[in-house]
Amino acid sequence: MIKRAMVFLFLLGLGSLFIVFMQEYTPDTELNQTGRYYAEHTAQDIGAANIVTAIIVTYRGLDTIGEVTVLFLTAAIVGMLLSRGSHKGKSLQRELPQSGELLTTGSYLLVPLILLLGAYVFINGHLTPGGGFQGGAIIASAILLMLLTDPLRHFSHQLITIIESVSGLLFVSIGVLGLFYAGGFLDNRILPLGELGSLFSAGVIPIIYSLIGLKVGAEFSSMLVNLSETEDS
Amino acid sequence: MVQIAMATGFILILMGLYGALTNQNILRIIVSFSIANTGVNIVLVSIGYMHGRTAPILNEAVPLAQATARIIDPVPQALVLTAIVIGLGITTLMLAFAYKLYERKGTLDISKFSELKW
Amino acid sequence: MVNVIFIIVIGLGAAFLLGLLREKWRNTAYALTLGSLLAMAWIAARWLLFFAVDGGATFEIFTAGTAPPFAINLRMGITESVLLLLVILSGLLSAIYMSKSLYRLGGRAMSVLLVFIMALCGIILTRDIFNLFVFFELAVIATAGLLLISENKQALSAGFKYLIISQLVSVFLLIGIIFTYHVSGTLNIDGIAGLSLDMMKGIGSLAFFFMLMAILTEAKPFPANGWALDIYESAHPAFSALFSAAMAGSAAVYAVDKLLLIGGQQWLPVVTAIGLLSFVAANLLALSQTHDRRTLGYSSVGQVGLILAIIGQRDILGDSYLFIAGGILISHAVAKAGLYWISGLINQRHLTDWAVLRGHPLLILAFVSFIAMLSGLPPFPSFYAKWELVMILASENRLWILAFVLIGSLLEASYLFRWFGYIIKRERVQEEESESPLLSLASHKLLVIFSALAISWGLAYLWGELSAHDNLFYALPLLFALSFLLLEWLPAWVKNTLAIAGMVYYFVMSYSLYDPLQIIFAAIFLLGGAVILLASYHVHGRRMGFYPSAMLMFAGLTLLVVAEDSFQFFAAWEFLTIGSYFMILRGKHSEPHALSYIIFSLGGAFLILAGFALAAQGVTLFTLESLAHVAAPIAPWVFLLLAIGFMTKTAAIGLHIWLPGAHAEAETDVSPMVSGILLKAGLFGIMMLLMNMGKQQLYGIELTFIMLWIGALSAFLGNLMAVFQEDAKRLLAYSSIGQMGYALFGLALMNQLGWLMALMFVINHYIYKSMLFLSVGGVAKRTGTREMYKMGGLIAMMPFSFIAVLIGIIAVSGVPPLSGFGGRWVFYNAILSSEYRLPMMLIFISGPIAFLYLFRLIHTIFLGQLKDEHRQIKEAPFWIILPQMIYVAALMVFAVVPGLVLRKVDAYLSPFFAETAAKSGLNWEGLTITSNYGYWSPIPIMVIIAIIFGLLFVWLLFVNRKAQKVKQFNIVYSAERPFRPETTHFAWNFFAPYRKAMGFLIQPFVTRFWETLTDFLHTVADLFRRFYTGNGQTYAIQLLAFVVIVYLFRVEF
Repeated sequence: MIKRAMVFLFLLGLGSLFIVFMQEYTPDTELNQTGRYYAEHTAQDIGAANIVTAIIVTYRGLDTIGEVTVLFLTAAIVGMLLSRGSHKGKSLQRELPQSGELLTTGSYLLVPLILLLGAYVFINGHLTPGGGFQGGAIIASAILLMLLTDPLRHFSHQLITIIESVSGLLFVSIGVLGLFYAGGFLDNRILPLGELGSLFSAGVIPIIYSLIGLKVGAEFSSMLVNLSETEDS
Repeated sequence: MVQIAMATGFILILMGLYGALTNQNILRIIVSFSIANTGVNIVLVSIGYMHGRTAPILNEAVPLAQATARIIDPVPQALVLTAIVIGLGITTLMLAFAYKLYERKGTLDISKFSELKW
Repeated sequence: MVNVIFIIVIGLGAAFLLGLLREKWRNTAYALTLGSLLAMAWIAARWLLFFAVDGGATFEIFTAGTAPPFAINLRMGITESVLLLLVILSGLLSAIYMSKSLYRLGGRAMSVLLVFIMALCGIILTRDIFNLFVFFELAVIATAGLLLISENKQALSAGFKYLIISQLVSVFLLIGIIFTYHVSGTLNIDGIAGLSLDMMKGIGSLAFFFMLMAILTEAKPFPANGWALDIYESAHPAFSALFSAAMAGSAAVYAVDKLLLIGGQQWLPVVTAIGLLSFVAANLLALSQTHDRRTLGYSSVGQVGLILAIIGQRDILGDSYLFIAGGILISHAVAKAGLYWISGLINQRHLTDWAVLRGHPLLILAFVSFIAMLSGLPPFPSFYAKWELVMILASENRLWILAFVLIGSLLEASYLFRWFGYIIKRERVQEEESESPLLSLASHKLLVIFSALAISWGLAYLWGELSAHDNLFYALPLLFALSFLLLEWLPAWVKNTLAIAGMVYYFVMSYSLYDPLQIIFAAIFLLGGAVILLASYHVHGRRMGFYPSAMLMFAGLTLLVVAEDSFQFFAAWEFLTIGSYFMILRGKHSEPHALSYIIFSLGGAFLILAGFALAAQGVTLFTLESLAHVAAPIAPWVFLLLAIGFMTKTAAIGLHIWLPGAHAEAETDVSPMVSGILLKAGLFGIMMLLMNMGKQQLYGIELTFIMLWIGALSAFLGNLMAVFQEDAKRLLAYSSIGQMGYALFGLALMNQLGWLMALMFVINHYIYKSMLFLSVGGVAKRTGTREMYKMGGLIAMMPFSFIAVLIGIIAVSGVPPLSGFGGRWVFYNAILSSEYRLPMMLIFISGPIAFLYLFRLIHTIFLGQLKDEHRQIKEAPFWIILPQMIYVAALMVFAVVPGLVLRKVDAYLSPFFAETAAKSGLNWEGLTITSNYGYWSPIPIMVIIAIIFGLLFVWLLFVNRKAQKVKQFNIVYSAERPFRPETTHFAWNFFAPYRKAMGFLIQPFVTRFWETLTDFLHTVADLFRRFYTGNGQTYAIQLLAFVVIVYLFRVEF
């Protein structure tokens, strides 16, 4: 009880700081210097219609590499953690209920479509809302669906890891190419920028975003698979 | 409008933290932190929002010439994506840790994991 | 030059590549890991050379081909290159260290390690706040992963606690970042910093507060750091090393440093306060730790706190900022990593279990070097850094900060040296008794530890070069002392010969450069030391550790004599302190005494440091002579600090409790060194002080007058305490307190005669105290006890020892004809010509009291009945007797021709007292000395005494013709009963009646005071550490509370 009161008290303190933020906050009416720069220069410098994508993949590409690495790390650690001490190859002890006709059939129909959608989302990341992370998550949802249909389904860890690593390596290598053939690390202008708004535009952004999509998909899948395989209680 | 979103975000943060700091159960703590993270993300996007403007994508609706006047600030949008992914990574990790902790002690009560102290 | 971005590219690329390798190809994976770390280290090293040697300019790295602030940029400057190299090298060494665990866990663990290092590099390089957040989160996640390497099951819960904290941190950080962005319109650190301060008011400053708190949390400030301690305790030691050295100690503090560019000056006090609180509190709490890795964790928190405090002081540090912060940071990193790596060799976790290191001299050397680095002792970088820091703090009048820095350092040194005492002195658990080996020495681990050792000494040299002062490595005596580390494999007698030859040679070469005062001290230190070292020939074998320590002490003493500025003086002071500590610790039961010695000494040293700093007022090269020109308001304080500091070394009453144990428990040949020689260092300091500063008044009180009283009380009480000792060496030790009291008294008289007397005491005390300690030590060696009542009748068995003691006590008690009398004579002249009558009385009384205990040495040890078990006893070894005989001769010579030495000194001293009325009035004519009160002519006195003695002796022989010899067991005559000898022996509690009369004077008030203080500190430490409940949730609440409370405190800014 005392603990709750203390927590409440301190959160009250934190809350009052938040109130200060709220009170003193005045929404911008004009874009600030950074925003204006992106609005004005993205099209000609980066060639991506989706400015957010230009920021994520190029201007703040280093963040994105870090972000991808966060997922890579998480997947690796979850793998390390859950493979430790768990009995590999041992089948599940308890009887699982049948997943049902609807789910099974539905998944046959949906999984390819979901995969396709995922690919579409990341390939068009520089044009429309969406991108590698969203696309990757969509792909992983297909894996999730497959796992729901058949919890015992075995996925090749090997394959997942290879996709993950290769796309990660390619991402870094493309970044390095930017160092030699363009203005710096992760510069997208090693390929022609193309025409704004077309699929083949924005230099290497579509490639990088596709790689991110694959990588994110692989990482999410690997986490899901790892978590599902532990469920032996 | 912005204020409402921001207030919601802040309230979610406070609620999430209250839950995380008072619940004994590790899973509840994790869920509470997810709520707090969502709150943070809402605050993040709300900062970039500008009344009467549209998404920062250049197409027929927003021609290049008018971009500066028509789009909202794209930076918070980019940041929030990163923040979401990182939050997700940490949540996953916490879940995996929780699983291992449970496997070791057969309980999810956080106060039971205090062998290391003083 | 390779682009810096490749550090990140290589780290990441290799991490991804590791995923491609098959699980079985562990060798390839491991080689890839090490290879990429090496490549990263090479890049950082190249850049460091570029900056340091070629003087290259700071380099900006743009990503995405766009200039900041619109894209993320990195910056590489000299600071960054040093930190990068530090981080990567510690990563590389840790990777080598935990090769087994990495092999076991496979490629995934290796890639996590690589990402961890890469993330830390990113934190250091990036100039973008959001990018900073990303790299921090990467480091956090990698930390959680690397915790799994530990074999400790608890590491899992520690990792979870850390994840909880990091969730809170990321909430704070993101809120802070986004509102900062809102206010400033950019995420670039330099961009925000370049904005006008007005923008960062209100909401901006609140946003900055959130960012600062979040980043500070990663530096583990007290009290929001329970989780960090749990990590330190449970992680794999190699990871703890990384976590402490690279993450908290380098990356996090550098992030704070960068962040402060945004916040500006107004936030510096907050960081200082948090840093100092962590420094003092963590070191205090560490006092009650018994778990080794947790202790190191506390020490880590403390050191990082100190670095934060330094960062908070950057507004006054100016150009020295990098030198100071870097010195502390690098010392901490190398030392802490080294200690964690050593802890990985030891298989049990109690501090005392480290006793298994005994018998591994190199590991002990490594341990010593590391704790010296942490405590800021010379010649390591932290010493130079702390010196600079204290100087600047004092000159800028930030005295509270200075005080806290010194208190924290003293606390830290206390538990580190206590720990060292455990290693050297505690019982080792026998190998057979436990099922697992206690110490696992794997060659790759040793390689890592010894590289850290080599690096630590290399850095010591480097910092000496960078320093504005002399590089201590260029001091010949120090090099001589250190060279004995390399000669440890030689047998003791060879090293002894080398040592003696070196000391004598150095004296012969340099004495012509000294003034008479310096000659006296140098002769005592070097020649005197060489004479005592003769006794060391009696020890056989290698005598590991003795010679480096002894020579370190002598090096310190030698350097002290020639020191010209405050820095040299202080460095010499520290050297002699450490060296003597190691020697005292060698005694069989000396662990607690050595500890109290080092704590008192370091405490005293810190006072001296503060005194010098206060006096210098920012002057870099502060010569000792300039003490004379220190201006009025601070001068008395300087005097007070320095005087107390020096008086800890002379064991003035109140600060004396370390002395009896330290001197009595030391080895036979060490006792005379630390008593006969080392005490003089304190007197030398006081002489230097008085000579330059003269009389000082504080609040109208004459400080020399207080000193006079302290001297008198020390003489009186020291002697009184000596009276009631049963232990012969303790008796001598207490007697030293008394003798030093005399000398202090003489100096404080502030007239020429007083000084002359003090100098006579310096010489006499060296001779007779060394001699007595040697002869008593020899006796104790033969009899196996130091309790006097267990001895008796040894005159026939140990005639030479008897002669030495006899001559010695005649000299000490100041009866004619020996030089002690000369001392007394000058002394009585001195006090008669001064007006301080009351303390004079005390001094007078001390004389006869001294005779009481001195008498016992002869009476109880050498006269009376021989004990049955001593029937076969032999004279003490030749090498112990030899120096004693030299001393006998020296006493005789000094008694006959005291003028030989003193005359020159008298002449040397007179200008100092020219203005005061009380000139010595001594007149040196031939061998006779004439004063206002009479004259002293040694030869006639000697002759008269000889005649009296001869007559009495003849008469005694004549009377004793009829004496009857009594057999041993004729108990009718022997005045003792055979059972319970300790209570019935007539020599036990010999002075019981006096004790009844005066015992109240020697109640151990002082001892009780210091004990109460220590107990209090330990109790506080034990109470407050319970604050860390071990519950991850509680830690999170504490962090929240910390943030809110800090905000409340800083509202006024």
